[in-house]
Amino acid sequence: MEQLANPDQREEKRNLDDGRTWFSTPAAWVGLILLGGGGAVAFFSEDRLQRFLQSYLFAYTFFLTLALGALFFVLISHLTRAGWSVTLRRLAEDLAVCLWLSALLFVPIILGLGHLYEWARPEIVANDALLQEKEAYLNVPFFILRWVFYFTVWIGLAHYFYRLSGQQDETGDPALTLRMERLSAPGMLLFSLTITFASFDLLMSLDAHWFSTIFGVYFFSGMVASFFALLALLVIVIQRFGILEQSVTVEHLHDLGKLTFGFIVFWAYIAFSQYMLIWYANLPEETGWYERRQEGAWMWASLVLLVGHFFVPFLFLMSKHIKRRKGLLAAGACWVLLMHAFDLYWIIMPQKHFGEAGRIPFHPFDVVCMAGFALLFFAAGRDAMRRRCLIPQRDPRLAEALAFENES
Amino acid sequence: MSVEAFNVTSDDPTRRAPLVLGDHDFESITDTVCGVVEKPKPPVAWYIAFTISSLFALLFFVLLAYLFGVGIGVWGVQNPVGWGFAIVNFVFWVGIGHAGTLISAILFLFRQKWRTGINRAAEAMTIFAVICALIFPAIHIGRWWMPYYMIPYPNQMGMWPNFRSPLLWDVFAVGTYFTVSLVFWYMGMIPDLASLRDRAQTRTRQVIYGILAVGWRGSQRHWHRYERAYLLLAALATPLVLSVHSVVSMDFAVSILPGWHTTIFPPYFVAGAIFSGFAMVATLLIPARQWFGLKDFITLRHLENMAKIILATGSIVGYAYSVEFFMAWYSGSAIEQFTFLNRSLGPYMWAYWIMVFCNVVVPQAFWIKRIRCNVWLMWCLCILVNVGMWFERFVIVVSSLANDFLPSSWDYYTPTFVDLGMLAGSFGIFFSLFLLFCRYLPMIAIAEVKRTMPQADPHYHSAAIGVED
Repeated sequence: MEQLANPDQREEKRNLDDGRTWFSTPAAWVGLILLGGGGAVAFFSEDRLQRFLQSYLFAYTFFLTLALGALFFVLISHLTRAGWSVTLRRLAEDLAVCLWLSALLFVPIILGLGHLYEWARPEIVANDALLQEKEAYLNVPFFILRWVFYFTVWIGLAHYFYRLSGQQDETGDPALTLRMERLSAPGMLLFSLTITFASFDLLMSLDAHWFSTIFGVYFFSGMVASFFALLALLVIVIQRFGILEQSVTVEHLHDLGKLTFGFIVFWAYIAFSQYMLIWYANLPEETGWYERRQEGAWMWASLVLLVGHFFVPFLFLMSKHIKRRKGLLAAGACWVLLMHAFDLYWIIMPQKHFGEAGRIPFHPFDVVCMAGFALLFFAAGRDAMRRRCLIPQRDPRLAEALAFENES
Repeated sequence: MSVEAFNVTSDDPTRRAPLVLGDHDFESITDTVCGVVEKPKPPVAWYIAFTISSLFALLFFVLLAYLFGVGIGVWGVQNPVGWGFAIVNFVFWVGIGHAGTLISAILFLFRQKWRTGINRAAEAMTIFAVICALIFPAIHIGRWWMPYYMIPYPNQMGMWPNFRSPLLWDVFAVGTYFTVSLVFWYMGMIPDLASLRDRAQTRTRQVIYGILAVGWRGSQRHWHRYERAYLLLAALATPLVLSVHSVVSMDFAVSILPGWHTTIFPPYFVAGAIFSGFAMVATLLIPARQWFGLKDFITLRHLENMAKIILATGSIVGYAYSVEFFMAWYSGSAIEQFTFLNRSLGPYMWAYWIMVFCNVVVPQAFWIKRIRCNVWLMWCLCILVNVGMWFERFVIVVSSLANDFLPSSWDYYTPTFVDLGMLAGSFGIFFSLFLLFCRYLPMIAIAEVKRTMPQADPHYHSAAIGVED
């Protein structure tokens, strides 16, 4: 029943061949133990709870952005009716449905709101006129309500595309493509609004006095750049296990490299715009945010971010020859992911109420949380991937993706 | 599959719409596009349009003479609104100039083949819009004989421009953009100019097009170099599309004036520029494809795609308006909050609501496929978008200046007839140049359109006679 566009590709392996659900994989359990154990250690030594939650938020945001980046890729592929990316879209669909895990893991953040956000602490708000003014937006019930809404939208969209695309594997009905394309436009509208306000809530309101209209775009740019890096890495890894060796070619990797490169430049453009305008106008209500990131050791961190998140990948990924070699592209992708994590660390950690200024507060919790989340998401992603073929095998534009070549 | 039987705007995911309609082969494409230039006389509509637009261009020059004679007091600029129509028009025209390079560079890198039908005309439009834009700051400096002071060159007075001023960055940003756009446009046109040269019936035409075609022979080596250069220029022009309007936005955003100083300005201005640029491309090409018989190359599909881009960028602009509004409240700054309330409910509320209606509400009509495919309705909506984008710049420039920190200095800005006449006149210059372009240069990128046709596939002929490859 499989309709393959190219008869030569019939032998290719396109499934994970794995019967285990996510909770029966060791990775999921180790991940849960790491997060739970870290949380327990922190909980029973009261003063460390805040530090744990900082690390938790850091790791949480990292994986949330990757899953949202996947959702973005699914949406934009349908919105633009892309042909070249059909063989990559299923992987993104599978990563995007992991958003259910993000929703679940959001509970500890809600429980620890008072430790992370000053606006969630009545005794601070009572003495802060500015926070009182913002109370209509920055209050606990509305925050929870908003996040319920965001997750409803995100998970709803992710599952819609996951489900219809899966149906198409069975029926091969082109009308399903049309339905997905129709939803992609309003879906993109909802996506852009929800991620904007999510970024205000999750990251910007850590410093509840500070504000920047471009912040949502900044969040988006880092998210998309790192997602493309992740997708390239994922493809290279599964190909080492002999999966999708033919339907995803070096041409697709080349394009993923170009898109990573493009969004790295876009990130730099947005980051520069934000910094330059705040620096130039020099208004005290805005400069404080950057000032904390230029004190003591954070100054070096900021410079590392500038060089590492922009100059290094910019120069490295520029060459076509690098983008077309798996080992080099994978190295570039790892670097971009590392820098994305560093970017989030740089946003989250230097808060006034998180402790001493000018010191980078590395803590084993950072690693524990990152590892815990990584294992959980690995298990969840694999669970989504093992359920069906790893390319949408009866997509009407599959042939275009299989035959696709970059010109020149 | 017969091309005629196929609905070009079909959404059927199993096939891609053809980009060229009708029974065209390579020769007939050259004939049709070159024919526009080679006909002894253009259509009557061209004469009417050119007469009207050149009269407006004349009006511009008359008013320019008046302005030079008397000084910029003839404008409505006053204290505190020192940036009046001239800056509004400058930003508006630079914005219009964004679509051309977006289409030729960014859509090229995104492999959007439908761009080939419209890229030449859009690039020409870009050049003319930037010409219109550059006039305004040059005359706005007041001493119009001294614009060369903006260029840093070693001089015996030891005077340098102020490098910290975004107004100077504009000189470089827009100047670079103009140069690269011009090179891109001209270089892309060389093979088509050579076609015109080869087909020339008179000696004059042969010499002129011959000079312009700079010795193009269409050899394989020529094509190889040409395509390399095209790719490189596209890659270089892409950041320029973003940088130009970002720098223009910094004219406002580096200041501390509420309503001007906000971090989202650079990407928001770029989105707005693409939005207005595409609306202008549609405004120009909808009549042009009709008058010059180019409907086979600028199909309904092309127009529908443009409508979608207008919807997308219009929504980004709407997003920026909302985020700005939200952040004005969220900032807790009384002055920020006042600025946005003042815009929407104060003395300039009429302009604000024209802006919101034209830029946010009107493009929403393009959600409906029947409106996207209704050419003349789309044309009307695109004109409204252009109106809206002009008003956006008016709202930004004037409302923030007129009601700033100190209520005692507030004043209401009223344009004079010179302001209005120069705005209308700049449209006259723009349309005159565009009409001349339609008459004397190939409006469609002939060589590029041919490449998107099924006949350009090396296997096309063997497939047609049933040979397996």
